[in-house]
Amino acid sequence: MKRYAYYLSCINESMTKEVDRSIDLWQKDLGIELVKLHESTCCGGSNLDYVSPKHFALVNARNIACAEKMGLDLVVSCNTCLMTIRTAKKKLDESPELKQEVNELLKKEGLEYRGTAEVRHLLWVLIDDVGLETIRQKVKVPLKDYRIAPFYGCHILRPSSVLGKDNPLDPSSLDQLIEALGGETMPYEHKNRCCGFHTLLVAEQESLNVAGEALEEALELKADFIVTPCPLCHTVLDGYQAKALKQAGIKSSIPVFHLSEMVGLALGYNAKQLGIKRHIVS
Amino acid sequence: MTVSTDQHKEGKRDVTFRVFRFNPQVDSKSYFDDYTIPVERGITVLRALNYIKEHVDASVSFRAFCQAGICGSCGMRVNGISMLACTTQVWDMLAKSKEEGVVRVEPLRNLPLIKDLIVDMDPLVDKMKHYSNWVDSTMPESEMGKKEFLVSEEEFLKYDKATDCILCASCVSECSILRANKEYVSPAVLLKSYRMNVDTRDSMHDLRLAELVKDHGVWDCTHCYRCQESCVKSIPIMDAIHGIREDALESRGMKDTSGAKHAEAFMSDIEKKGKLVEATLPFRTNGVLWTVQNLLPMAVKMILKRRTPPPPPMVKPSKGIKAFRSEFREMSEHVKQDHKSHNK
Amino acid sequence: MKPFDIVIVGGGGAGLYAAMEAMKTNPALNIAVLSKVYPNRSHTSAAQGGANAALANKAKDDTVEMHIFDTIKGSDYLADQDAVEVLCSEAPKIIRELENIGTPWSRLDDNTIAQRPFGGAGRPRCCYCADKTGHTILQTLYEQCLKKGVIFFNEYFALNLSVNGSRSKGLIAMNMKTGAVEAFPARTVIFATGGYAKMYWNRSSNAAGNTGDGQAIAYRAGIPLKDMEFVQFHPTGLRKSGLLVTEGARGEGGYLLNKDGERFMSRYAPEKMELGPRDLVSRSLETEILQGRGFDSPAGKYIHLDLTHLGADLIKSRLPQIREMAMNFEGVDPILEPIPVRPTAHYSMGGIDTDNYGRTVMEGVYAAGESACVSVHGANRLGGNSLLDILVFGRIAGHAAALEARKFEPAAISEDEVKDQLAELRSSMQPSGHYERYGELREELGQTMAANVGIYRESSLLKKGIAEVAELKERFKKVRVSDSSDVFNTNLLQVLELKNMLDLAETVAAGAFAREESRGSHTRTDFPTRDDEKWHKHTMATLIDGHVKLGEKPVTMGRYELQERTY
Repeated sequence: MKRYAYYLSCINESMTKEVDRSIDLWQKDLGIELVKLHESTCCGGSNLDYVSPKHFALVNARNIACAEKMGLDLVVSCNTCLMTIRTAKKKLDESPELKQEVNELLKKEGLEYRGTAEVRHLLWVLIDDVGLETIRQKVKVPLKDYRIAPFYGCHILRPSSVLGKDNPLDPSSLDQLIEALGGETMPYEHKNRCCGFHTLLVAEQESLNVAGEALEEALELKADFIVTPCPLCHTVLDGYQAKALKQAGIKSSIPVFHLSEMVGLALGYNAKQLGIKRHIVS
Repeated sequence: MTVSTDQHKEGKRDVTFRVFRFNPQVDSKSYFDDYTIPVERGITVLRALNYIKEHVDASVSFRAFCQAGICGSCGMRVNGISMLACTTQVWDMLAKSKEEGVVRVEPLRNLPLIKDLIVDMDPLVDKMKHYSNWVDSTMPESEMGKKEFLVSEEEFLKYDKATDCILCASCVSECSILRANKEYVSPAVLLKSYRMNVDTRDSMHDLRLAELVKDHGVWDCTHCYRCQESCVKSIPIMDAIHGIREDALESRGMKDTSGAKHAEAFMSDIEKKGKLVEATLPFRTNGVLWTVQNLLPMAVKMILKRRTPPPPPMVKPSKGIKAFRSEFREMSEHVKQDHKSHNK
Repeated sequence: MKPFDIVIVGGGGAGLYAAMEAMKTNPALNIAVLSKVYPNRSHTSAAQGGANAALANKAKDDTVEMHIFDTIKGSDYLADQDAVEVLCSEAPKIIRELENIGTPWSRLDDNTIAQRPFGGAGRPRCCYCADKTGHTILQTLYEQCLKKGVIFFNEYFALNLSVNGSRSKGLIAMNMKTGAVEAFPARTVIFATGGYAKMYWNRSSNAAGNTGDGQAIAYRAGIPLKDMEFVQFHPTGLRKSGLLVTEGARGEGGYLLNKDGERFMSRYAPEKMELGPRDLVSRSLETEILQGRGFDSPAGKYIHLDLTHLGADLIKSRLPQIREMAMNFEGVDPILEPIPVRPTAHYSMGGIDTDNYGRTVMEGVYAAGESACVSVHGANRLGGNSLLDILVFGRIAGHAAALEARKFEPAAISEDEVKDQLAELRSSMQPSGHYERYGELREELGQTMAANVGIYRESSLLKKGIAEVAELKERFKKVRVSDSSDVFNTNLLQVLELKNMLDLAETVAAGAFAREESRGSHTRTDFPTRDDEKWHKHTMATLIDGHVKLGEKPVTMGRYELQERTY
């Protein structure tokens, strides 16, 4: 059983509770244990870094330090949290002064940022640590009847100088996972495009336009559902789907699954257990 | 038979260029023409297009000038991604082709099409003008030429990378928000605006910034990083965009925009709870009226599905919040000190 | 169209400086810049190295006087000394002015503008911004012109001057976007269209559009061209494409090595080594290659430019563009291995004959920058003096035109003239019967120029060159424009540019044949020495009855007497 520190993303604590719930169901099946980091705080959601670069460094040094204290890598299941924490890590590792400044403060809690823990997305752990072969063997209900549109989201790909796992122009990790679970992936042009989440409250029309295009292509390709490794993308593509498609003048709908739910389905859990019923689009 | 390694290295193969065609004089809609030509290793996409124009079809239209990656004329989409044709190797593109032996060539997006691979750059120039993308020198014209401003290496480095921009418009073509709204300022113009705003020789920082925080400005960026990823000069464009935002939050009078309020909410929530209080984020960003009008129908659905984020009192603070809060506040003191010494 | 006070043809460094200065001199004037590309695309952007000015930031004992001497000596005493004095004494002012309006410059430790050594200069006086100096200057000028509200006609191709006797009435040009031929009546016209070295085609470092359009238009209008035979070959062009590796690479300490690993410049310029003047270094490379000490490859013979000993940090920080180019166009990372180079046609010293104010012999017509020949470069230009030339004389021409424009009557161009131009264009687009292919003619022009009017010249080769250019001009009459579209017809543009190159090639070859001496960039193997008695003078090429007629003009001397030029 390989252990990881598991970062609690704000959105998975509130709007998309089904993510952590579904992971809890199947993590042991795949031989991994995700230890919840209740001490972790909000990463700053790709905003704190410019609101206050120093607080941004402090908050995320602390998040990583909590994992380091346990001697574990930090696993994240939200793209933006992943990108944000990795960006902070890069800055801390490149600046001994900054590292020292935050460590002075962290000392009070008995924490220290050393830079030893890796910060990884759950998707990467499934592919690199669990392995596609193992996953293939553990599948109970192959997703063979499903044509699945993989929507990666931005912050698991870009900036590649911070992420670096997939080719941002032509990512493949999620496609590989879909195939390992017995599903059929598709050449989905929007797979590496944006969902529009981060401007939803600032420039809503633009965001819905961006999301609408991604949904439209999935519908055109006759996908059975869209899958995404990011709860923020899910919130737009599912929660705002009706609005986005209405703006685009399309009368149709398409379910959107979290990565964790798709894995759960293939491992034999049902929609109710996985929290799929909580989605806006059924 | 022996083949010398050099010949092997310079080997040839047939490549099909699937070129986007549109001539507004005769075509009602665009189409693709396929041109299959022999291509050696080491040949760029631009050289291949030149070959097609000279030997196969002289009517294929595209811009090219320096052919050395510095003038920015030949921005186009190769296999769907915006780049310079003159610095792109055909064989590299073949390796990434969806269809064996085929390289797709299309015009940039998000700018009006003129013909084939040529788009209109005027909208970009107009935006450069709108956002005052020039240094308005603090030195009166009559004094110019007499002495230099003294500029430290540190100051120079602030805008050094941004001045690499050759206005090829690859970032413009890849931008998610421009695709949704052509009025949006554009990544290249944000980059240039940032470059001017950090230049100590410039005198119109505040005016430029005031324009940048308006509608279709800096807050509309959705952080997708496509601009940065496609930049042919590897300029960290998002750093510039974040730089403008940081600047706007620091400048008094710039905070009264939904973008700024949204950004600052993160700061206060993290300090209070360690967590984001999502339930009230729309109110705090856009006010009660906007939230009721825009989000109420969805909220009803979400309540039915028990998807609503919990109200503020119900958001459970992170474990060890007290210790965290004191660290956070102490850091605020550090930042205050930094500002003081910076202003000196 | 409303008559203009000034129409500037070309939006590079010279054209934009002229526009900015003219606006500054008299903001009430109606000024337009017309360019066949968006101004920020202009070839000024490719100038990597820098601009010379005796700021004395780096070497405290540098003086304008030393800069003047270096320039005159570099020119092999063919430059006009009064013009050189203007160039060098205006230099510090213009660099500071550019700095004052926002040009980014690399800096020294004392926060002043950085300077580095450059070929043929006695002191490190080349001001730079990494290896993107031209690019950043061009951006700054374009930004300032936008700020000042200069009117731009982008993607307009200049066709001809409209002339009334000895006086210009303005310009006729084609709007690329629509194919329409339009009149630009103007009190004054400034040509700032760049050089003509692209006639050497793939043995040239120039942009595809450096086809000498302004010079060809002026020539056809009867304005003389000066010293056209002087074409500078830059020593270090990339082997495959001819693209340039800036002298900055040698300024930072790069070595030139032959196949025996020898720093062969010790034989030709023992003191200055790799930093000798361009003509000398180019000839040295060519000699090494001709004598069998070059490297061999399917793409031709070459020499190594070795930067590996400079280290990754220096290469990345000071020469990033060079590294990028070597990787993109030769597949070589200069941090790890030497760059394959050979001489490449780089700069045209010759151009439209002007006085020190940019005026030509035709009333109301000015020229500046590489399209003009004042002359400040004489038989050979020093590195770092090209950017300086376009800035200083762009500014001077803009100033002069702004002061003088209102002295002239407003001009008008008749509709018939415009119609005639259009008809001429149309007829070239539909030749009947046997026709010639544009690409072939252009390729042959480049070949014959490189082979017969190249670095080493000789009577029989030049005769051959002259005959071949004449034949190409004849064949050009039957060239076909295969694209029949009005909208953005780049094929038509190529053909019109070829016409300009052919006209100018004739003047280059004729001048080279006539000049029976070796001076600066012009090397006659049959006349290997400088002949001051017969040839210390400018050649003047004028179009008379469809043919080039050569004349001469004395060199303006000053305080420097003729001396042998050694380094």
